[in-house]
Amino acid sequence: MIDSPGAQIVLASSSDENHPPGNITDGNIKTFWMTTGMFPQEFIFRFAETTNISAVTVDSYNVKHLKIEKNTSPSAAQFEPVVEKELERTEGHLQSNIISLNGSSATHLRFIITEGYDHFIAVHRVSVKN
Amino acid sequence: MVKLRARCLFVGDAAVGKSSLCHTFYSDGSLFQKNYSLTTGVELLMKCINIPETNDSVELYILDSAGKETLVESCEKMWGQPSLLCLVFDLTNEKSFANCSYWMERVHGHCKGLQIPGVLLGNKSDLSARREVQSSVAKEWAQSHGLEYHETSAKERDNCDAPLLSLAQAFHSLYQERREAIQNLSPD
Repeated sequence: MIDSPGAQIVLASSSDENHPPGNITDGNIKTFWMTTGMFPQEFIFRFAETTNISAVTVDSYNVKHLKIEKNTSPSAAQFEPVVEKELERTEGHLQSNIISLNGSSATHLRFIITEGYDHFIAVHRVSVKN
Repeated sequence: MVKLRARCLFVGDAAVGKSSLCHTFYSDGSLFQKNYSLTTGVELLMKCINIPETNDSVELYILDSAGKETLVESCEKMWGQPSLLCLVFDLTNEKSFANCSYWMERVHGHCKGLQIPGVLLGNKSDLSARREVQSSVAKEWAQSHGLEYHETSAKERDNCDAPLLSLAQAFHSLYQERREAIQNLSPD
């Protein structure tokens, strides 16, 4: 498993300059992106080229409901739903979830957090498995 | 620097002055509507509050929700998940104070088990001759429900900034607390 090669975040709905969205793709599980209040919250990944994705691993904290959408267009628009998942609550340690995308091909992946277990949630790392 | 966003819900009986307070907050005290106009839905106002001695701010999305009984149910659908609560009663109307318990219950149904910081506002403090609710009683009730108590007069613009600043500060402290807790988590 590699940490999202050539992927970058092109949009995030919250930003605390000490916990920027780049922390999701830096491969470091200690750094995180933190949301700053209210739901939904989202971030969008762009891959260098259209990529087949079998699964993503999401390391996070206090995320309750996660929706993943994708597209194969060069711009971050017109997404179609791929999967929705209710994540279990953890206390004192991170949530780590492998979410199957069944080899979907995508140029962009959009992660929407529709609900949290707290006012604020954190995403530490998203890894992509081809 | 961080900009937080909070959904701040204003509830309480009809005609206690929720809309007047909202507009006084929103306009920094330059606007007090003299004619009563019943709010029939939910009005949204956005106000940004700077947290003193930091570069941080909190954007309050103020939801001014109708207090009239027959309208509450349809308004509730627009409450979403509130981040902050502002419960208002009229100091000259005992019944509006008694109904605060009912409002608390309604709001809790939308909080999904989350603790939300809140304030209780006794409004119309300028009408001192007609006062029906004593400060000490209201304060005690507020404390027992985890709320901070303030008395305000939207008309005299008296003490109108303090409650929102206090809510914004409570939300800011909550953020810092949570951020620290997440920083101290162990992986897996």
